Amino acid sequence: MYKNFTAFSRWDSCVKIKIVRMIKLTCIVLFIAVLQVSAGTYAQKLTLRFKDAPMENVLLDIRQQSGYDFLYSAQLLKKAKPVTMDVKGASIEQVLKSCMAGQPLSYVINKNTVTITAAPAPVAPAVFPVTGRVVDEKGIPLPGVSVKVKGTATGAMTDADGKFALNAPDDQGILVFSYVGYESLEKPINSLKVINVVLAESAQSLNDVVVVGYGTQKRTSVTGAVDQITSAAIEGKPAMNVTQALQGVSPNLIVQQSNPEPGAGASLNIRGVGTMGDNSPLVVIDGIVGGDINLLNPSDIQSVSVLKDAGSAAIYGSRSANGVILVTTKQGAKNSSMKITLNALAGLQTPHVLYKPVKGYENAILRNEANVNAGQTPIYNAQQIRDFKERGDEQWFLDAILQNALQQNHNLSVSGGNAQSTYLVSIGYADQRNNLVGPDYGLKRYNYRINLNNEYGKFKLNSILSYSKSMIKDHSSNTSTLIVDAGRVPTIFKLKDDQGRYLTNEVLAEFNPLGQLEQGGYRKYDNDNLFGSLTAEYAATDYLKFRGIFGGTLTSNHLFARTIQVNYFPQGISGADRNTNDENNKNLFLNTQFIAEFNKTFNKSHAVSVLLGVANESANNEGNRIYRRFTDPELGTPITGTVIDPSSQNTNQATAESSLNSVFGRANYSFNDKYYAEANFRVDGSSKFSRQNRWGFFPAVSAGYRLSQEDFMKDYQSKFGDVKIRGSYGILGNQNVGNYQFQTTYFNIQNSYAFGDGIVSGTGFNFSNPDIRWERAATFNIGADLTFFKNSLNVSVDYFDKITRDILVQPVVPGVFGASLPDFNSAEMQNRGWELSVSYRLNTDNFKHVIGLNLGDSKNKVRSYSGRERIASSDEMQYIIREGLPFNSYVGLKTDGYFQTMEEVNNGPKPAGLTNLGPGDIRYVDVNKDGVIDDKDRYVLGNAFPRYTFGFTYALTYKNFDMNLFIQGVGKRNAFIRGEMVEPYHFNYGQVAYEHQLDYWRPDNTDARYPRLAANGSQSNTNNFRKGSDAYIYNAAYARLKNVQIGYSLSPELTKKLGMQKFRVYASGQNLLTLSGLKFLDPENTEFNGNLSAGGANSARAYPTPIYVGMGLDVTF
Amino acid sequence: MRSLSNKIILTAALLSGLFASCKKLDLVPTDRFTDENYWTTTEKASGVLNTAYSQIFNTDRFFYNEAMSDNAYNGRGDNQGAASLAAGTYDPSLGRLKEEWNDRYSGIKTCNLFLGNVDKVSNMDPTLKARMKAETRFIRAFQYFQLMTWYGDVPLFDKDLSLEEAQKITRTPKAQVLAFVLAELDAAAADLPITSAYAATDKGRVTKGAAIALKARVLLYEGRWQEVITTCEALMSGTNGSYSLFPSYEGLFLPANEHNSEVILDLQYLPTFRTYGNLFDMAPISVGARLNAMSATQELVDNYLMMNGKTIREAGSGYVESNPYVNRDPRLTNTLVYHNYQWKRADGSTKTIYIKPGSDPDQSQKLDEYAAGGTNSPTGYYLRKYYDPTSLPNFVSGLNLILIRYADILLMYAEAKNELGQLDADAWNKSVRLTRSRAGFTDAAALDFNGTPGVEGLRTIVRNERRSEFAMEGLRIFDIRRWRIAEQVLNGWAHGAQYGPASIDNGYIRANQRVFDAGKHYLWPIPRDERAINPNLSQNPGW
Repeated sequence: MYKNFTAFSRWDSCVKIKIVRMIKLTCIVLFIAVLQVSAGTYAQKLTLRFKDAPMENVLLDIRQQSGYDFLYSAQLLKKAKPVTMDVKGASIEQVLKSCMAGQPLSYVINKNTVTITAAPAPVAPAVFPVTGRVVDEKGIPLPGVSVKVKGTATGAMTDADGKFALNAPDDQGILVFSYVGYESLEKPINSLKVINVVLAESAQSLNDVVVVGYGTQKRTSVTGAVDQITSAAIEGKPAMNVTQALQGVSPNLIVQQSNPEPGAGASLNIRGVGTMGDNSPLVVIDGIVGGDINLLNPSDIQSVSVLKDAGSAAIYGSRSANGVILVTTKQGAKNSSMKITLNALAGLQTPHVLYKPVKGYENAILRNEANVNAGQTPIYNAQQIRDFKERGDEQWFLDAILQNALQQNHNLSVSGGNAQSTYLVSIGYADQRNNLVGPDYGLKRYNYRINLNNEYGKFKLNSILSYSKSMIKDHSSNTSTLIVDAGRVPTIFKLKDDQGRYLTNEVLAEFNPLGQLEQGGYRKYDNDNLFGSLTAEYAATDYLKFRGIFGGTLTSNHLFARTIQVNYFPQGISGADRNTNDENNKNLFLNTQFIAEFNKTFNKSHAVSVLLGVANESANNEGNRIYRRFTDPELGTPITGTVIDPSSQNTNQATAESSLNSVFGRANYSFNDKYYAEANFRVDGSSKFSRQNRWGFFPAVSAGYRLSQEDFMKDYQSKFGDVKIRGSYGILGNQNVGNYQFQTTYFNIQNSYAFGDGIVSGTGFNFSNPDIRWERAATFNIGADLTFFKNSLNVSVDYFDKITRDILVQPVVPGVFGASLPDFNSAEMQNRGWELSVSYRLNTDNFKHVIGLNLGDSKNKVRSYSGRERIASSDEMQYIIREGLPFNSYVGLKTDGYFQTMEEVNNGPKPAGLTNLGPGDIRYVDVNKDGVIDDKDRYVLGNAFPRYTFGFTYALTYKNFDMNLFIQGVGKRNAFIRGEMVEPYHFNYGQVAYEHQLDYWRPDNTDARYPRLAANGSQSNTNNFRKGSDAYIYNAAYARLKNVQIGYSLSPELTKKLGMQKFRVYASGQNLLTLSGLKFLDPENTEFNGNLSAGGANSARAYPTPIYVGMGLDVTF
Repeated sequence: MRSLSNKIILTAALLSGLFASCKKLDLVPTDRFTDENYWTTTEKASGVLNTAYSQIFNTDRFFYNEAMSDNAYNGRGDNQGAASLAAGTYDPSLGRLKEEWNDRYSGIKTCNLFLGNVDKVSNMDPTLKARMKAETRFIRAFQYFQLMTWYGDVPLFDKDLSLEEAQKITRTPKAQVLAFVLAELDAAAADLPITSAYAATDKGRVTKGAAIALKARVLLYEGRWQEVITTCEALMSGTNGSYSLFPSYEGLFLPANEHNSEVILDLQYLPTFRTYGNLFDMAPISVGARLNAMSATQELVDNYLMMNGKTIREAGSGYVESNPYVNRDPRLTNTLVYHNYQWKRADGSTKTIYIKPGSDPDQSQKLDEYAAGGTNSPTGYYLRKYYDPTSLPNFVSGLNLILIRYADILLMYAEAKNELGQLDADAWNKSVRLTRSRAGFTDAAALDFNGTPGVEGLRTIVRNERRSEFAMEGLRIFDIRRWRIAEQVLNGWAHGAQYGPASIDNGYIRANQRVFDAGKHYLWPIPRDERAINPNLSQNPGW
C-alpha cells in the first residue's frame, strides 16, 4: 500500500487527479484497507526543517518519518502557501498543527491516516449548543431524524442511538423534528441544553412520501387516486401471503378467497368489474412489472401503493385499466447500527364446518318421507329405524377427514447502514399444515432477500435479490370431491372396519375419502422463484437524474404427482391408473427500463418535474409434462404395461412468448404547493397484436388544488386542517388476452381416431381475429383529501366513472358457426363507484387509539355486447350478459311461495310436463301469464360481485399493552348455492339431510325455507330443484372479525437493560367471529373470481374456512 | 470521476437499449401451424378428416340416448339430458339441445373446411383425394341426418360460414335437408370403396356399404318403403360389399370380433389410446361399477319373446311371472343383467348377481340388491351388452361401438316389406328368421313365417323384433318417434322389476314418471341460446 501510494504521487497530474478522485470516491474502502496495512505503526517523534518548501514535500517527509498515510488532492495542495518550520522530536499532531497554521487547509487524523481537505469556510460562532435524543412512542431510538432550527440552515441528523447535537444560533429558536412516517414536531429551545422528544407515528401524514409509478411523490402533491398501505397493516397477521393480508385494508381493493386450502390463490380486484375479460390489476414489485405478489414474504413489505385511477395508473399504459399495485420492500436505514428483528408466529387452525348432518335414524325417517312424497316406497322399515337409533351414530365421514393443523410464520431480518450504503437481509419461513388428514399435507415457503443501496457521490446503486421457494403437498384427489363425498354419507355407516380396511357403502361405492387421503398418493409442488433487480441512478446535476433498471423474475416450477391404488372393502378401487406425473415449467421474465428525470423549482414557487422512459418487457415460458399410467404400485417407475399418457407434452408444445416495448412519461407542475397539474402517457407495442394494431397510446391528465393554502382559508387551516381536491381523466389499456390470437392456427390432436389397429391424430384449429387490439378504458376520477384536528382525523373520498370500450370478449358465436372464435373487441361496459377512507388518532395520557375505516362500492353496467345478449348456465345456475344489467347477473325463475293446497296446485301455473305436483312444492311467478312456467318467466335475481366492501381497524395502546382489531366484510352480495347443501338427497348422490334443511315444508310448517322433501326423479323434485330460481339465492353479506391481536411489550427501560430495542409478545386470532345471513356456508365461498367469471356453480363443497388462534413474538436487537 | 460515471451510464444505457430494441414483437407459436403452412401435405390434410371422424358421435350420447326411450331410465343425474327428455320435463334451455346442435355443426364445419381447402394440397393422389372427399361428404351427411331427425328444419349449407352468415342464417325446410343428405350419400357411395378394398390399416373408414346403409336408414325414417327395400337389397345382394350376420349375437359385441362381417359402420376405439368407460355407471356394482346411472325398464324386459316365439302375455307362452327370466329370447341374457344372472368374468368364471331384495347370501354386502333410493339400479336391471372382458379397471374399454350393422338392413327390409304388404315367407326368411336363428331361437314356431296376424300383427312382431335385437344400442328413441308411438310408451310410469309393494302396479317398481306431449315433443325445440343470437331462427310448433 505504501509503495503504491508513492507511485501514485509521481504520475502525471491528469492521472493523479482522476485517481485522487477515485480515492475520495471510495474512501471508506480505502480507509479499511489502509488500516489493515499500517496497523501498529509508530508513535515516534519527528524532526523537520524546511524553508519555503512546497507543502507536498513537507507532507512526504512527515509521512516517511511517521509511517502515517496521507489522503489529499494534489490540486488542493497547490493552493497551499510555502512552509517554513523547524521542529525537533515533536509528535505528529504538533507537526501538523504547526505546518497547517494559516493554510487554507484542514486535516483529520484517524488512526494512522491523515486526511487533508480544504479548510471550512468560517462559520458564525455557535452560541447555543443543544443535544438530545429522539425516540418513537415505544421508546425505540429513531436514527436519521432531521432536526433543524426553524428558519435557519442549522440542523443535524440523529445517530443510531437517536442522539443529536447541534449549535443553535441562540437559545430562543424552535427545533423542528421531522421523519418520514412520523408526525413532525416543533419544540422551542427555551434555553434548554438537552431536548429529548418522542415522535408519534403518523397515520397519513401530508409530508409522507407516496410510491407512484416509476417514482415517489409527496402526498400533498399527489393528484391521482392512490392509496398507500403501510407495513403496519400487514404486520402480525397470520396471513400466509400478501394478498390475504391485503383483504379489507384499502377501499375497493377487493380480495376474494373462495378456497382457503393451503396454497390456493386468492383473487385481487381494484374497483370492481370494468371489463368482461381479465380484471386483475397489474402488480409491480420494486419497480419491476409482473411478479407474483403471493410469493413475497409479508414481513419484507414496506408499503403497497394501490393506483386506482387513470391519473396515477396511465404510466403503465396497456396493462393499467384494472389498476396497479406497487409493492415496495424494506430497505436498511442509513446511519444506523445493525438491527436484528425476529418475528415469530405460531398457531392452530381449527376447521369449521358450518353444516351438520341430522342423526342417522332421523335421516332414515326423512328419506322415507321424501320417497313417499314422490310416490315411491319407503326405504327403511320401522325396525331398521329403531336399530339405527339404538346403535347410535358413527363418526361423520367429514369430521373424520378433518383435523386441527399447525401454522407458523417466522422471520429474521438484519439491517443497517452507514452514510453511503444500507443493507437488509431477511429470511422467512412460513408453514401452513392442511386441515385434511393424511401424510403431511400443507404448504411451506422459504424466503430470502437481500436489498442493498450504495451511493458513490452522484451515483446510486440499488440491488435487490430475493428468492422464494414454496413447497405444497396435497393429496392426489380433488378436495371438493372428497369434502362432498364425505359429507354425503349418513352417520349409519362406518369408515373403517376392525381390520383397518377402508369401507365403501351404498352411498360411496367407489372409494372412501379417508383411504384416498391416507393412502391414495399425493401431488408435490416445488416452486422456485428468483427475483432480481439492479437500479443504477446518476444525478447529472441537482435537477437531472438518469436511471437504468434491469430486473426480472426466473420461475421454475415442478410438480411431481403419484396416484396410488387403494383397494376398498367390500369393493371399490381408487387410483387404478397408478399415475406418476411430472410437470416442469420455467418462466423467464425480463424488464429493462431507462428513465430520465428532471426536477426543478423555478422562482421558488414553480416546481416542475418531468420523467421520460423507455422499457421492454418480455416473457418466455417453457414447460413439459410427462404423465405415465400403470406404473409400479410401490415405486411409481415404469413396468410392464406402463403407458405414456397422450396428454404428455414436450417443451415445444408448452412454449409461449410475449413481448412489450414501451415509451412512457410524466410531467408535473405545481405552484406554491397550492395548484398541481400532472400529465402521464405511455405508448405500448405488444406482440399480442398484429403489426397494424400493435401500438397503443394511453394518456391521462390530472390536477389538484389545495384550497387550504389559499390566504382566505388560513383561518380554516389553523382551526381544522388541510383541504385538497383533485381530479383526473385518462385512457387506460388492457391487453390481458392470450398470445397469437391474430393468427389462425392448426394444431395436432393426438389419438383423435383409430383405423385398423392404429391410432391416428387429428387436426384442430383456432380461428384468428386479425383485427384484435387493446381494450380502452376512459376513466374519470374526482376526490378530496381532508384533514381535521391537526391531522389527527384524515378523510379521503373518491368517485370514479369508467367506460371500457373495445372489450375483448369471445363473440356470441352461434352453434351453426361450428367453432369458437378468439376474443373480439366487441363489448362496452361502464363501472362507477366511490371510496371513503377515514383514519383518526386520539391520544390521551395512557391510551392511544387509532381508528381506521374504509368503505367502497362499485357498480357496473353492460353497455353493449356484440349487440346481443348471452345467458350462460352451469347446472341450475344461469347468468346473463345483457345491456343495462350488471355483468353476469343471475337470472332464473322467481318463487312465489309454495302451493299450499291441491286446488292451488291444479289451478296454478306449473313448468311444462310437471303435472303431478303437490302442496309444499314451489310455486313460481308466471310473468307472461300464459299458465306455463318456462324460460319466458325469468327474472334478474342478483349479482355475485361483492358490493359495499369494508374494513374497520381499531388499534389501542395502553401503557405496555396493545390491541388491534380488524373487521372486514361485504355489505351486499348474492350467492347462488346449489347441491346437497340446498337440496336434500341431491340427485340421490347425497343421502344425508343437514340440520339447516329441517326447515322444510310440512302441513304444520307451511312458511318454510325449503320445499317439501321429494326423492330424486320425481316431478316435485324436478319442479323444486331442477329449475334455477331464487330459491337458490342466498344473502352472502357478512362482517367478519378477521384479525385480533393483543400484545404486551416490555418497557423501553427493561428492553434496553436486556440489550434489546423491542420485545413484544402477543396473541392473535383470525376469523374468530362472522356475522352473516348465510349460516351453513362460509359467505366468502363464491363460484366467481375477481373477473366475475364462474368456473361452475357453487355446489358448497369448499374446503372449510379455518379459525386460527395463536401466539406471536416480535424482538428487535 | 465524471468520465467514470459516464462510462457506467453509457454501459447501462447501451445495455438497456440493447434489451429494449432487439426484442422483436413478431412472435409465432412453436407448437402449431398457421394458415400459410398448413394445407401443404396429404398427411396434414388427412388430420382434418380424422378430426371429422372423431366428431361423428360421442359415447355418452351413444349410451344415454337409450334412456330417452322406453327401454331405459337415467336414474342418477341428467346425463345428456336423457332424464329430462324421457320425462318430458325440459324446455329450450336444456343443455343437451344446445350441445347436440353445436357438436353436429362443429362436425359439419370440419367437413366444410376439409372440402374447401383440400384442393390446395398439390401432389395429392387424385384417387385418394376423391375417396377422402367422399368420406368427408358421408360424415357431413350423417351430421345433417342427425340434426334433421332431432330438430326438423335446420340451417343447411355446404360451405364454411362466416360469423355474419351464421348470425343471420335461417332454417332450411326438412325436405330440402333430406334431399341434400340423400344426394350426398349417393355421391359418396359412388367414390367410396367397398369394405374389402380397404387396406387393413384403413379398417373402420367409411365404405360404399356404409353410405348405402345410412341411406336406407334415412329412407326408413321417412317411411319411403319401396326405396328402403331397393336400398337394402343393394346390400343384401352382396354387390356393394359382402355382409352377413355374425354367427354369435354375444360375440358380435366382443373385442375379439371387431370388424366382423356384420359391421357396416362403427365408431373406432383403441385400448389405452381412445377409450370410454360408460359401463362404470351401468354394470352391476358387484363386478366393479361405482353406481348406476342407467338401467333397463321392465317394459324392455317384457318385450323379449319366450323361446317358443310367443310374447310373455300370449296364451301358452309358458311365462311364469315369479320366475320371469327363463326360456326367454337369448338376446336378453346378452343384453341385460337380471336377478340370478350368471355374470361371465374375463377369465371365464362366473359370478351370480343378486338383485332381488334379501337374496344375496352375503347380507353385509348386497351391492346389487334393489333398494329404493339406493345408488344401484333403480329398476333392478344392469347392462351387459358392450361389456368388454379385456377392459381395464373402471370398465375403461377400447371396444368399437356399432352404428349400423347388417341385422338392421335385414329388419329394415322386413319392416318395409310389411308396410307394403309384401312380408311373405320369402322376405321373412331373408330377414327375421335370420336374426332370430342367429339369436339362438331353435323352435320352429319362433323361426317360421306365420302370416295369420296380417300386416297389423306382423308390424308388431317386426317392431318388437327390432326392439329386442337393437336394445341398448341407441336406436329405440328414433324408432318410437318415427312410429309416432311415443305418446303411448313415454307417458305414465316407467317400471322396474317386481320388487315393489304389491299394491302398486302389481309390484313392479315405479321408476320414473313420464309425460310426452305429441303436440310438441316429436321435434326438439331449437336451442334457446341459438335463437337469442340469431332471431332469424324460427321455433318448432308448441315451443
